[in-house]
Amino acid sequence: MENLNIEASEYTPKIILDVEKGLIDIRGDSFPENTFDFYKPIIKWMESYFSNGDQTVTINIEINYFNSSSSQQFFDMFDIFEEAVQGGNTLEINWLYNLKNESAQEAGEDFVEEFESLKINLLKK
Amino acid sequence: MQEEQLTTAQQLLAKLESSELTDIKTLQELAKKIVTESTKKESRLKKVIKFSDHQSLQLLTLHKELDIYKNHLEEKVDEGLSEIKALNKEIEETQNEVIFTMGAIGESRSKETGQHVKRVAEYSKLLALHYGLPIEDADILKQASPMHDIGKVAIPDSILNKPGKLTEEEFEHMKEHAQLGYDMLKNSNRKLMKIAATVAYEHHEKWDGSGYPNAIKGEDISIYGRITALADVFDALGSVRCYKEAWPLKTILLALEKERGKQFDPKLIDIFLDNIDEFIAIRDTFKD
Repeated sequence: MENLNIEASEYTPKIILDVEKGLIDIRGDSFPENTFDFYKPIIKWMESYFSNGDQTVTINIEINYFNSSSSQQFFDMFDIFEEAVQGGNTLEINWLYNLKNESAQEAGEDFVEEFESLKINLLKK
Repeated sequence: MQEEQLTTAQQLLAKLESSELTDIKTLQELAKKIVTESTKKESRLKKVIKFSDHQSLQLLTLHKELDIYKNHLEEKVDEGLSEIKALNKEIEETQNEVIFTMGAIGESRSKETGQHVKRVAEYSKLLALHYGLPIEDADILKQASPMHDIGKVAIPDSILNKPGKLTEEEFEHMKEHAQLGYDMLKNSNRKLMKIAATVAYEHHEKWDGSGYPNAIKGEDISIYGRITALADVFDALGSVRCYKEAWPLKTILLALEKERGKQFDPKLIDIFLDNIDEFIAIRDTFKD
């Protein structure tokens, strides 16, 4: 399985999906022109990565501003994380947000509420 | 939820259509799943809308803050600009006063009036404009030409104010004021001062090469030197000096025309004679 790195653009986040390090790192703003197409390869990568069921992975997500279709994609990712844990993977999930960014903080709190079975760390920056 | 997967509702519909459903229990289970799925979807949709609202509000707040900063910045820039403009005006006015004062110092030593330098300044600008120099250069010459005799501060009173003709030795001494003025002004890097230095140096040079201090001729004499030479002589001939009375206008014009191509640039004499009314108007405005 190959690593997947996507550089940040003005409207999309920087994404690092690293097999060896066991790292999923998504940071930046998320307003892709076609959100579904943008996240499709990432979702696919994750599904395939967790399918073995023995991974130990650190997941860092720091999204400052995002559109509503991006937040739908985040729900899909968290669904995958939930299934991954059920499937025997060990995940450390960190939702990072800037102290001044209330909406990013509240989004993190809502993910914690929605995905009770996951341990999501909310980390102030 | 991936788009290629069928929802429970779609599965139920498919089963109903293909009559796979055989008992009520399966039907109940599928219905329960539909309710669970739609509850979850509704909850997520609400959250997505909430996120979206929060984000919009935050972006709007940022926009408003940005507008406030922008307006504040524009105000500051405007304030700064007016301050700079006021200072610039102050500097320019001070510069002009200093220049006229320097010119007047030179003139006062030889009992000439401060009005002389003003008239020479105005004549020079007018000649420059008619000659075709850009307005910026004409303005700089107007500022520089009053300093043409500044070198006279180093000439003794006994020579400067001597009634009657100077001896040859005295005249040689007097001629040094061109070089002296040039030496006083030449070290500046300012365009204005460089032109003032040139004017001081060359205003006694003659078109035919018979002038001083370097006896250069024609267009080897800068246009600033040629213009100031004519402006200075025209004004001097019409004024009372310690060694002469004021000449009548007609006599002056005849004398200048006679020097066309000799003492003065012929093109400048033509310009001067063609526009004599404008020069007379200046003379009348800045009377002694």
